[in-house]
Amino acid sequence: MPEYIEPQELEQKKIFLILASPGTIRQRNTDIIKEISGLGYHTIIITTNFPYSVLTKMYTQNEIPLDHVSFIDAVTRNSVGSAENIPGVVRFINNPANLTDMGIAVTEVLKEESGKKVCIMYDSVSTMLIYLSSENISKFIHFVTNKLRLMDVSGVFLAVEKGLDPLLMSQLTTFVDNVIDTG
Amino acid sequence: MVKGGGIHMGEKEDQKSCTESDVLDNALVMIAKLEEKGRVISWNHAAETITGYSRREVVGTNTIWKKLYPNKGYRMMVTGRIADILKTNNYFENLETTIHTRSGESRTLLWNTKIIQERGMKRAIAVGMDITAEQEATSFRDSIIENANVLIAVLDPKGTIEVWNKAAEIITGYSADEVIGRKDIWKKLYPDTTYRHSLTQKISEVISLHNSFENIETTIQTKNGEQRILSWNTQQIGNNGVYHEIAIGRDITEQRRAEEALVAYMTEMTMRLKQPVGIVSNALLESAQLVKEGILNQDEIITILKSQSRNTAQIEANIQEFQKAIVEKNRSIPEAYQKFLEG
Repeated sequence: MPEYIEPQELEQKKIFLILASPGTIRQRNTDIIKEISGLGYHTIIITTNFPYSVLTKMYTQNEIPLDHVSFIDAVTRNSVGSAENIPGVVRFINNPANLTDMGIAVTEVLKEESGKKVCIMYDSVSTMLIYLSSENISKFIHFVTNKLRLMDVSGVFLAVEKGLDPLLMSQLTTFVDNVIDTG
Repeated sequence: MVKGGGIHMGEKEDQKSCTESDVLDNALVMIAKLEEKGRVISWNHAAETITGYSRREVVGTNTIWKKLYPNKGYRMMVTGRIADILKTNNYFENLETTIHTRSGESRTLLWNTKIIQERGMKRAIAVGMDITAEQEATSFRDSIIENANVLIAVLDPKGTIEVWNKAAEIITGYSADEVIGRKDIWKKLYPDTTYRHSLTQKISEVISLHNSFENIETTIQTKNGEQRILSWNTQQIGNNGVYHEIAIGRDITEQRRAEEALVAYMTEMTMRLKQPVGIVSNALLESAQLVKEGILNQDEIITILKSQSRNTAQIEANIQEFQKAIVEKNRSIPEAYQKFLEG
């Protein structure tokens, strides 16, 4: 029985904003990917906080099959300077603030995974606040959600609960289909 | 000349004429007694003080008028007006003219005349009140009202606008010509009927209690459709049961916008600092747990530490940017706080 996302809503290619407390957001990431993977979806994780190598270990620990996930990693190159893309596994971008690169990466990865049941997970809106104004984040999420709808793909945006200001929250709410507060 | 406690008739006459002369001489208004052709018969002390011309120079001639009105055109105009008045009356009241004094100053006089008979001769008593100071004060007051950088409107007891200053024109876009003498400006400034009615009710309630109101904020719609926020203060002025209402409106639109921008900025700042700090803290705690469990290798630990270090450096840069932005956005922040914010 899915705990967070209903299978039929994924089938309907809905887009979700999932809120979690700061202490549980990492666990929520893992729980949701486990659910989505269990439903036969391939998840593309855009990570802005933990490097992909660490996330793969967390997923392994949580028995998530790694062939059901691939990554757009905005952390590693920004921290250690260089990292080579691994086709079908991870695509690195230099800086989480570089929304152009991130947009291109999303478009290309979606193309690579076309034909599969795909869901994109953006982890997290809150981390992006370190690098970008809420106005730019809002514009980027609008861009991504439009792209997902055009390509008929589901998406999950993770954010820390009660941390987004009412204006940003109301904007994000209009871009997504469901807001799920997981506490 | 008192003899035996009584006064002789001759002495009485002398005393009477002496008293009249004293009164005329010591009057605080300029008094001149004139013959028919304008020749001056008497010229009091106030006339000397106001015009600068002594009695000795003036009495017995009519040349003083050319001196007081050296501009021929103006003199002709004054003479013409006097002649017009005298066609129907044998006196005139409150005729305002500007004289040129001996020292070259201009002074405004308010003239009243009276024709009298003196020993069978027709004489004119001209009384000139120097209203220069009063007029300057009025003009100064008008100038203050006109040039004040707050909207000033004066309403008569029926609500008709009598004064609409320059700031009122600039703020609302409606000229004095469009407003003065009318009552409908409020409908134009508050075109939304519901808002206007609620405002009227609120104002009526306050006025019924206090006869005035202070710092009531309203949003007006200007002539070009712009919304502006005004803070209003009113006061009743007047006496003898006739009261005028003076309404002063301060345009606080920019102040409110700056405050809103500041609040928005501070909200954004809170969000962009509180959340990321929590995220970094949790990432480090989770990483510590992973290290403890032996899951992370050295490279991964270094990557995490470096990424969180970059995050904290970015947070610090954000704090500095916000400090700068807040100070620049609101110069009205007290200096002590500005210094604190500037670091």
